[in-house]
Amino acid sequence: MTNHWVDLKNADVIMIDGSNAAENHPASMTWINKAKEERNAKVIVVDPRFTRTASQADLYVSIRSGTDIPFFGGMMKYIMDKGLYHKEYVVHYTNAANLIVPEFKGPADLDGLFSGFVDEDGDGFGVYDRKTWNYQTDAQGNPLRDETLQNPRCVLQIMKRHYARYTLERVSSITGSPQDKLEAAYKLYASTGAREKTGTILYAMGQTQHTVGSQNVRCMAMIQLLLGNMGRPGGGVNALRGESNVQGSTDQGVLAHLVTGYISIPSAAAHPNLSAYIEKETPKTSYWSNKPKFLVSMLKAWWGDHAAKENDFAYDYLPKVESPANHYWIKLFEDMYAGKIQGLWLLGQNPAVSGPNSKLEREALKKLKWMVVQEIFDTETCSFWRAPGVSPADIKTEVFILPAADAMEKEGSISTSGRLIQWRPKVAEAPGEALPDHQILNLVALKLKELYASDPGPFADPILHLNWDYGKEMEVEKVAREVNGYALAEIKDDKGTVLVNKGDTLKTFAVLQADGTTACGNWIYAGYFALADDGTGKMLPATKRRGQKDPGGLGTYPFWAFAWPANRRIIYNRCSADPNGKPWSEDKKLIWWDEAQKKWVGYDVPDFVPTKAPTDPGGKDPFIMRVDGKGGLFAPLNEGPLPEHYEPAETPVAKNPFSSRMHNPVIKIWTTDKGKAIGDNWGKIDKFPIVATTYRVVEHWQAGGMSRWLDWLTECQPQMFVEMSKELAGEKKIQNGEQVKVTSARGEITAVAIVTARFKPFKVDGKTVHQIGMPWHFGWGGLATGDTANDLTPHVGDGNTTIPEYKAFLVDIRKA
Amino acid sequence: MVRKAMLIDESKCTACRGCQVACKQWNDLGGWGYSKTTNVGSYENPPRLSPQTWTRIKFSEYEGANGFRWLFLKEGCMHCGDPACVHVCPTKALTQQADGRVTMNPDLCNGCGYCSQFCPFGIPKLEVSGVFTGMAKAFKCTFCQDRTDNGLIPSCVKTCPAQALFWGDRDSLIAAGKKRVGALRARGFSAANLYGENLVGGLGRLYVLIEKAEAYGLPADPKYPALSTAWKDIVQPLGKIALGGTILGTLVAWLVIRRKIKMEEVE
Amino acid sequence: MNGQEKTGGHVFQIRWIPKYTFVERLLHWVHTISFLPLVVTGLVLYVDALRPLTQGEAGLWMRLVHRLFALLFIGEPLLYGILQPRRLWMHMKEFSLERDDLDWLKNAFPYYVLGKHGAMPPQGRFNTGEKMNGMVMILTWILFVVSGVIMWFGKGIVSADLFRWMVLVHDLTMIAAVCMFVAHLFLAVAHPLMWAALVSMRFGVTSAAYASEHHAKWYYGPKRAKELYEAKKKMVSTEG
Repeated sequence: MTNHWVDLKNADVIMIDGSNAAENHPASMTWINKAKEERNAKVIVVDPRFTRTASQADLYVSIRSGTDIPFFGGMMKYIMDKGLYHKEYVVHYTNAANLIVPEFKGPADLDGLFSGFVDEDGDGFGVYDRKTWNYQTDAQGNPLRDETLQNPRCVLQIMKRHYARYTLERVSSITGSPQDKLEAAYKLYASTGAREKTGTILYAMGQTQHTVGSQNVRCMAMIQLLLGNMGRPGGGVNALRGESNVQGSTDQGVLAHLVTGYISIPSAAAHPNLSAYIEKETPKTSYWSNKPKFLVSMLKAWWGDHAAKENDFAYDYLPKVESPANHYWIKLFEDMYAGKIQGLWLLGQNPAVSGPNSKLEREALKKLKWMVVQEIFDTETCSFWRAPGVSPADIKTEVFILPAADAMEKEGSISTSGRLIQWRPKVAEAPGEALPDHQILNLVALKLKELYASDPGPFADPILHLNWDYGKEMEVEKVAREVNGYALAEIKDDKGTVLVNKGDTLKTFAVLQADGTTACGNWIYAGYFALADDGTGKMLPATKRRGQKDPGGLGTYPFWAFAWPANRRIIYNRCSADPNGKPWSEDKKLIWWDEAQKKWVGYDVPDFVPTKAPTDPGGKDPFIMRVDGKGGLFAPLNEGPLPEHYEPAETPVAKNPFSSRMHNPVIKIWTTDKGKAIGDNWGKIDKFPIVATTYRVVEHWQAGGMSRWLDWLTECQPQMFVEMSKELAGEKKIQNGEQVKVTSARGEITAVAIVTARFKPFKVDGKTVHQIGMPWHFGWGGLATGDTANDLTPHVGDGNTTIPEYKAFLVDIRKA
Repeated sequence: MVRKAMLIDESKCTACRGCQVACKQWNDLGGWGYSKTTNVGSYENPPRLSPQTWTRIKFSEYEGANGFRWLFLKEGCMHCGDPACVHVCPTKALTQQADGRVTMNPDLCNGCGYCSQFCPFGIPKLEVSGVFTGMAKAFKCTFCQDRTDNGLIPSCVKTCPAQALFWGDRDSLIAAGKKRVGALRARGFSAANLYGENLVGGLGRLYVLIEKAEAYGLPADPKYPALSTAWKDIVQPLGKIALGGTILGTLVAWLVIRRKIKMEEVE
Repeated sequence: MNGQEKTGGHVFQIRWIPKYTFVERLLHWVHTISFLPLVVTGLVLYVDALRPLTQGEAGLWMRLVHRLFALLFIGEPLLYGILQPRRLWMHMKEFSLERDDLDWLKNAFPYYVLGKHGAMPPQGRFNTGEKMNGMVMILTWILFVVSGVIMWFGKGIVSADLFRWMVLVHDLTMIAAVCMFVAHLFLAVAHPLMWAALVSMRFGVTSAAYASEHHAKWYYGPKRAKELYEAKKKMVSTEG
């Protein structure tokens, strides 16, 4: 989230699209309700299905799964046509005024493509050369701008031309949503473009789990920039993270393309040494220009004294990738299926249930030589080798199950969607021999060091020299301090003032050095474990604080725990003041320029150089992580610099109304074992006329490993079900509560039918298109059993992240 | 003593079942192992209150004057101001506390089940160990009597993530409920109402509803059962008088007869 | 029984005649020993001072005992009906009311309480009071059993409203039956004029003299009994 949970109460309009917040983030309702009660906020819910969140909406808009870009595109057209964007904000804080090179062409001109598309094998899919997407620049490399926003090459005009095709009629036709509903939603949300109003957009997997997922998110960012909602209380682009500590996991670089703190993992080809990496990856401007300090400090933390200037700070010890895409989920399981992967180590993950095309993925597990699972229950993955229909004699995989402690049985920090890092103590004992994940990994690391010490092989240094002094019984606080960072020598500023002493725990990443005098496991976490005041004078590690003071009453609670970066609660908060440094409105003033003290003051840590005046160079550039400091309305991603509608990989429509290009041109369509019973098979509307989506319900958790073994939760939601409209049920003669079979090109499942008024058929391009939905929590294990929804979903993912398209695919349904 | 109550704001409830599970956790109640629930075409489970389910959420898909609504109701003992269950309970296992809570002492319960039949809402449920022997115990929500006896709030209220549940002085909650109803009406919920202020002696469980009571499956006009009054307040006292009178009358008759009727042997 | 007693001079003779069969008596006493525990176990719900016996373990026992004896209470006339249905039916017909019963009622209080030994209308094997007792017994049996069975097995099957009615009916029936029982008990053991009744219910026989006076229609037959009654009435009215 760019903002945070409590901040939702400051919104005037809350738009929830692609999220079922009431079910999957129930605590969010406290703040949404506060917004409704205290400022008469309105809630818009956009969802193909009327969910428990929709029950709280003032305005509910139903769109077919996979048509968010038309919905948002229509909204952007509406905002621009009626001039409802926040002009002052857009001119000064976004790149709307920036001029794009004349060679740039978009889908309106190129029938669904941007300029620079390269399709080598002519299969309709390829990559983009982005050079025609650049800014026009002056001799110094600064972008040329037209702050009147009239120049036809300026971003705003390009956007107008781009979204001119997204008329209310076309959007209504492709989404299946009536025009008046769409217009009402547009009007209501656009009202937050007013100077004193802000709106927040909440989203989750309903936006991201599409082949156009990244572009869906781009739409939301663009709308928030147009309406002047970024960096302001009650605004922002707010991802409701899908797991309780997934924010922490991405922060710590668990994704394949990152190391800690969202720094890209080095590439073997592009970055053969540290200076190559620094040269290529460090921008000249923006706060990322400090990247070398972050990376070197991380290397020092990991390899201690073995990371020195002489050996490039142990850069060679850091693993490199050929391409991060090789290690993303779908590719991983395709490689596993092809027998290319020997071993799999899982920590609290149940791919047998959660993986797309799960039948194929369960087959892939059988190809492994060995598998280790750290789990709290004997899930479908732990026991894939003895699943119903599988004979253990046929499985060659050696499986190790390491019983793990659950969240309450270990101490440590958890990072919320709002970047808030809260330390939690251990409050219960783990049963039997179960150990916390960190202790299991600790023992493994110590054992590896031992084994490599006696038999190093070709290159054991990265492991032998790994800094690992946390004790036999891992002391979690030692790890925390390392992640936080500490000084290895005295650090002075350029005036000679001592900033930190040798050995001090760092309070801020501002003192990190690229010369090896600081160690820091994760630069964005710097300060989280340093001693800090909880508002009453009591000093304790920042993340452990539970201070109740809320200066300003906006819910920032700066003394409660620690939010990265630097305890900023709302990032890009320079935007909360106008270009002259005055708050846009009195009731939402967050930070402002104090002329007397010559610094930014207020209720949040400024996400800005504290002493840079609005009149200084860069004084109006709030987006400090971007090269030009302006918010990116126009921002290149793999499939383009502007979101364009493409249908899901399996689509119920014959044509795309916005161009003749049906699908995202940069995605990968897998065809492994196409035609076989288990394989990457694709369905068309002739056999599979119904749109399906998958989702979660509040009673269960993800692949069920933490809920389907529990008595009370099972009682609430005991069986797999599929929800459908009364109209569809009538057509298929399906009664509420009876068993039905749902089939896709990849598999077939049986489930209980819930026939409900909460799904209605869509009128898409004049024809009726039915949609059904089902939870993906179920498997054969535990108490609450049922067929696995992911047997139906396809192996295809987003054009940038490859996150699987779980949210829109084709099925058929019949009585069982 | 000030009467305590629970206010349930169904305009904020999202049917997350946190309350349903928190109740089970605090009161150590059984779940699927006991009830073996199945999905019969709804999210609603268990399908009714039971000896091991003292509160649950009812789901109603409702097409009203204001369009489609998915209504949620947190069902449980109403803690009536005029509790029929207390009046018919022969053992005083069910008691109306000074603060209005209708609490349950399972040690005293003899399983007669009158409470379950005289409750106008059908709330108390009998755990029957044997139909022939009649061995049973009655169970219902007690407003977490062991918590509320000690100054804590009920477990469900503490858990609710939408902050839709409130515990406190009844008068304050009625005022708050009315205020909320006013705010909802201003927002366009024309049918919003406060349920329970004066029903059955005033309910200890008050609801802010966004549609009429019947839409939620609540009785619009529940009444203290006339048969309870007839039985406990009329028949039983008169019966005692009749029995006593008969015994007394017989005694008096005997005294009279002794003097009036002499038996003699006759040759 | 038949015979003579030597008591120092006086010789008094009692001629015994059979009145109640073995089955009839068995029925009566089984009914008694099932009825009394039922009343006692039920009464604990009624009398505040006995409340500790309703609670917890004790309460569960009370209810169990009530059910055990209820089985007996339900079973005995049913068994009679199965074993001797014609006799049971005849038995029940004997309880039907006639003209004479109304006259008996008018005279019952002066006769039985005040000892005004005028002419009572002739009675069958059961006098009016006994008939009324019998009818009340049958009626209350039906009401007890129906309401009791519904209360026992009907929760969740019948409507709550019906259940509540059954509780009320069971209670009202109990009041009627126990009041009847109090009178019945008094008459059986304490009333001087009814001495033969207990003897007959215990041993099955009653004295001929007693029967001829108190159960004339049974002893003599209805026609002869009526003649004797008319004659006696004339005598009483002339004697003044």
